[in-house]
Amino acid sequence: MQNVFVYAALLVLFFCSCEKRVDIKLPYDGDKIVVNSLIQPDSVIYIRVTRSVPSNVYDDNGFTEITNAAVTLEENGVVLTPLQWQEIKGHGYFVSTQKAILGKQYTVRVAAAGMQPVMATDTLPAAPDVSMAAAQRNSSRVRFTLKDRPDAADFYRIRIFAYGPDGQPDTLRLFRLDPSFNNNMVDFFTSGSNSSLIMNDARFNGKEVNFVLQTQDPIANTTQLMVEVSTLTNDAYQYFKAVSAQERNGGTIITEPVRVFTNVSNGYGIVAGINTKRMTFKVE
Amino acid sequence: MLTGIFILCFPLRVLGWDWQTRVTVVVKDQPMQAVCELLEKEYGIHFSYSRELVNLSRRVTVTAYHQRLRKVLEELFAPDDIRYTRVGEQIVLLPAKRNTHTISGYVQDAVSGERLIGATIYSPVLKQGTTSNQYGYFSLTTVKDTSSLIISYIGYSPLFQTVSCSGDKMITTSLQPLGSLKEVVISATEKSKLQDQTQMSKVNLAMSEVQSMPKLLGESDVMRTLQSLPGVSSGMDGAGGMHVRGGSPDQNLILMDGTPVFNFSHFFGVYSLLNADVVKTTDLYKGAFPARFGGRLSSIVDIATKDGDMKAYHGDVSIGLIAAKFNLEGPIVKDKTSFLVSARRSYPDLIFNAMLQSEKSLGNNGAFKAFFYDFNAKINHIFSPKDRLFLSFYKGEDNILLKQTSGDTTNVNDPTKLQAESSKFQLGWGNTVAALRWNHIYGPQLFSNVTLNYSQYAFSTEYAYKYTIPAYGERSDIYGKYYSRMENGGAKIDFDYRPAPHHGIRFGATATMHYFKPGMSFFEDKNSVVKPLDTADLAMRVTGMEMSLYVEDDWEVRPGLYANLGVHASGFLVEGRFYHSLQPRMGIRYMLPRNWAVKAAYTHMNQYIHLLSNNGTTLPTDIWVPSTQRVAPMFSTQLAIGVAKTSANMKFEFSLEGYFKSMHNMIENKSTDVVYQDVVRWDENVTIGKGWSYGGEVMIQKKKGNTTGWIGYTLAWSTRRFPDINNGEIFPYKYDHRHDIEVVLIQKLGKHWELSASWHYTTGSPITLPVASYHGIDNASPWDPGTNTGSIDRFDKRYNYRTADVHRLDAGITYSKQKKRYRKSWNLSVFNVYNQQNPFFYYMKKDVADQQRYLTKVTILPILPSITYSIKF
Repeated sequence: MQNVFVYAALLVLFFCSCEKRVDIKLPYDGDKIVVNSLIQPDSVIYIRVTRSVPSNVYDDNGFTEITNAAVTLEENGVVLTPLQWQEIKGHGYFVSTQKAILGKQYTVRVAAAGMQPVMATDTLPAAPDVSMAAAQRNSSRVRFTLKDRPDAADFYRIRIFAYGPDGQPDTLRLFRLDPSFNNNMVDFFTSGSNSSLIMNDARFNGKEVNFVLQTQDPIANTTQLMVEVSTLTNDAYQYFKAVSAQERNGGTIITEPVRVFTNVSNGYGIVAGINTKRMTFKVE
Repeated sequence: MLTGIFILCFPLRVLGWDWQTRVTVVVKDQPMQAVCELLEKEYGIHFSYSRELVNLSRRVTVTAYHQRLRKVLEELFAPDDIRYTRVGEQIVLLPAKRNTHTISGYVQDAVSGERLIGATIYSPVLKQGTTSNQYGYFSLTTVKDTSSLIISYIGYSPLFQTVSCSGDKMITTSLQPLGSLKEVVISATEKSKLQDQTQMSKVNLAMSEVQSMPKLLGESDVMRTLQSLPGVSSGMDGAGGMHVRGGSPDQNLILMDGTPVFNFSHFFGVYSLLNADVVKTTDLYKGAFPARFGGRLSSIVDIATKDGDMKAYHGDVSIGLIAAKFNLEGPIVKDKTSFLVSARRSYPDLIFNAMLQSEKSLGNNGAFKAFFYDFNAKINHIFSPKDRLFLSFYKGEDNILLKQTSGDTTNVNDPTKLQAESSKFQLGWGNTVAALRWNHIYGPQLFSNVTLNYSQYAFSTEYAYKYTIPAYGERSDIYGKYYSRMENGGAKIDFDYRPAPHHGIRFGATATMHYFKPGMSFFEDKNSVVKPLDTADLAMRVTGMEMSLYVEDDWEVRPGLYANLGVHASGFLVEGRFYHSLQPRMGIRYMLPRNWAVKAAYTHMNQYIHLLSNNGTTLPTDIWVPSTQRVAPMFSTQLAIGVAKTSANMKFEFSLEGYFKSMHNMIENKSTDVVYQDVVRWDENVTIGKGWSYGGEVMIQKKKGNTTGWIGYTLAWSTRRFPDINNGEIFPYKYDHRHDIEVVLIQKLGKHWELSASWHYTTGSPITLPVASYHGIDNASPWDPGTNTGSIDRFDKRYNYRTADVHRLDAGITYSKQKKRYRKSWNLSVFNVYNQQNPFFYYMKKDVADQQRYLTKVTILPILPSITYSIKF
């Protein structure tokens, strides 16, 4: 038995890894303007303008806002009325007075002292055709129906929210597409539960599909759920897909790091169209 | 210098002459022409010949008193093969009828009958020689009827053999190993001196060198030894494949007894796929590829395994920290048929499983396995002196299995909780290789080898998961399987033809059928009513046919200038498309004063199959696929130039080489997925680019004596350019190491002890660090639920940082003692002696407690001592 422990100790030594901080000056490309705005039809447009920081800066509470930035919003090349600065939930936004209109193209231009001016542009996607959301208490399945548009490349984001005691959909549920949706083992292995599912319609283009989502934990302790389905433009899809891959990668530099898509020229961030539909329903 | 003439000439002038006429000729150190003139003057015997055809300049000393004319002429002209005939009153001299004859045969170990590869066969009189080929066969064509040969091989007593016959001769030469005759090992290989080989960019690794290297967890290893040669680098901290002169691991052609092997490693690249004890010799070609090899861009690793002892039974058993193994070889019919079997298995999982079982950690039917094994078998049969047959088989696998059932019985009476939860996960991969080879000698100058071979690599994983929640009617019973298989079946014929002393010609043909079946997937949820989104079979089944023809000539152009000229023509037929290429292979060698050889080579290589891997990191899931319409076959050109010399006493070898290599149509994954989900349309997910490698390598090796080893230094650059990566700009290869130093030392201490050490130093690897962080976004409106945006790291230029230099010292000491019937040995090895914290990978750590983000390196291999005990009999 003593030998077993000797071997076990040596094997543990072999498999245990040791971490050490590397004190180097990380490269920094200098301060750049960061523009973030997801534009929803029939809604005012919220534009958040911040400043980039070196990657060793720990800042989870938001990044330094450029409150005095010159921000202009164009709709089909026509400058809209000046944007208004608003503070919402502790963050500052440049907010449009007009609502975004489906079919129009929006361009955001931002200039700030000491940094290169930036510009980003995108259109808006059509609303998703979703219905019949349902779930059973204590089950781990949530269902809804999605009717995909034929002859168009569509991109979607799906999220599930649980309503809390204060009647607000405040908890993101971890879930994944039911593994029995296809006969591919790799899909099953590579798609762990996540807070959102980003996908394109390559597998169901033009079809009406009854989606079954599998939540990580059985649905309990809530009486109401919300399934949020958003259509995305290609830019928004590229952005969300890469962000989720970068999160999964966890900063490990064994494989190549994930480059997050940006459509902001000379800066960072994303300005892209989104069209969200939310289905709220009681858990049966 | 005595150059004068001393003539005693008796006035015996006769009228007329015949062959019986007695003549007296006494000359000292004079050209043959002087003898003719003397005979003409004194006896009226006229000689007629063309000075261009008949060379009478050789100086001779003749003392013939009253001898018959025929005898005098016979002795005078015979050494130069000058023919003479009487035409009227004169003697007509004719040039030598090139009466060449050929000495051919095998060189073998006198004790075991094992054929010796690379033994030198040399005629000191003619200053001509050759070396035995990979089957121990040689053929030497000389112009003389009588010749004495020296047959030598390091580690064996040289043999002086007189071959006296007038015709072609076939001989089998047995060399006595030096040292203990009971220990049947080939103590070192090679060979003719470096300056006598036109081949460059080649390193031969003897089994003794592999076995003397410090061990990692008790295992000596071919791949790890190859990684300690200049021009070869490994992945992170010794694992992760072989990168030869800036090429990626998929560009290495690994041949086991001539059969290509797909995946060369066990245990995620830590160990080679085969037990080092069955390896006879390994040749690594980093460039200057001979025309007989083809199909990969960057290197050839040609491994010859032992044939099996023809005379007596031998074997060994050993146990190290990670694996146990045995080898057994011996005659089935003495001097006619031999066998070799060898097996190895890692065993720590057996101990872990026993512990887990005893504690019931995995439930009632639970099991844990994580091991690798390999098995080699070989039969070698001599049908006749001209025919030999080899049948070899290899199988090796890595396996992981975790089977568990929930032992938790607390919820057994609560139907609202998970019940009967069980899962099974299995992962396995490995190679199967089989070959049948037939050596045949057609005549003294023509040798052939016919090979039929089969090679398979398979990867599979299975997953099953079951549970029920009876109260809600919820059940899950899912089962999935994913597997890939790549197969090669081939036929090959190689000829070795030595038509003349100055030519060594090899030619042959190969036909290989590739069968690709990657990414087969199956998944079902037995209790689900969900209609699958699609059931389209995403797997690919493709058959491809690769053919090649080659010819090469090792040619002595003139004294001091040699060339190896060859061409390799190949074609690949896949899905109705036909790719082809004509690949010139050229090497020249020019002898400088003081026995230095300057060498240069130009080679062109083609590769019709691609490996879908993740950015140079080899994983068992990697898939081989054939070229497609979008992704054309890869090709490379390499130019190498260098000098080389082996010292006169054969103790030291020195080589210095520079090279430039360009690689085309290489692929790199555009997406970030580790596993290719869509193998049918894989070519849409890759970007096609080029690469360049250049640098220099120097190696000084001590081959003989109590102290042996080598010092190698590599200065190298390796870059890539892909249109969709790094904005189309050139970036370094992931394993681009500027400086690399290897020092290997093996010291014999008396009769029983041997000390070995290897030190490796390499400059940092390129990695990509973020150049900024910024805020992300989740929602259109800040009022929307689910706003939980974190920060995003911005990555710009690929490989914008180099990690710290890596260095490590490994050391080992072996004590061995010959007992009456066996030889035992203990080896203590220490990996990473001074516990250098070399990085395995880096990541950006988010330290929530200290509210900091910083770069962190992860080390996985600290100081690792290990002990191996082995018995040889």
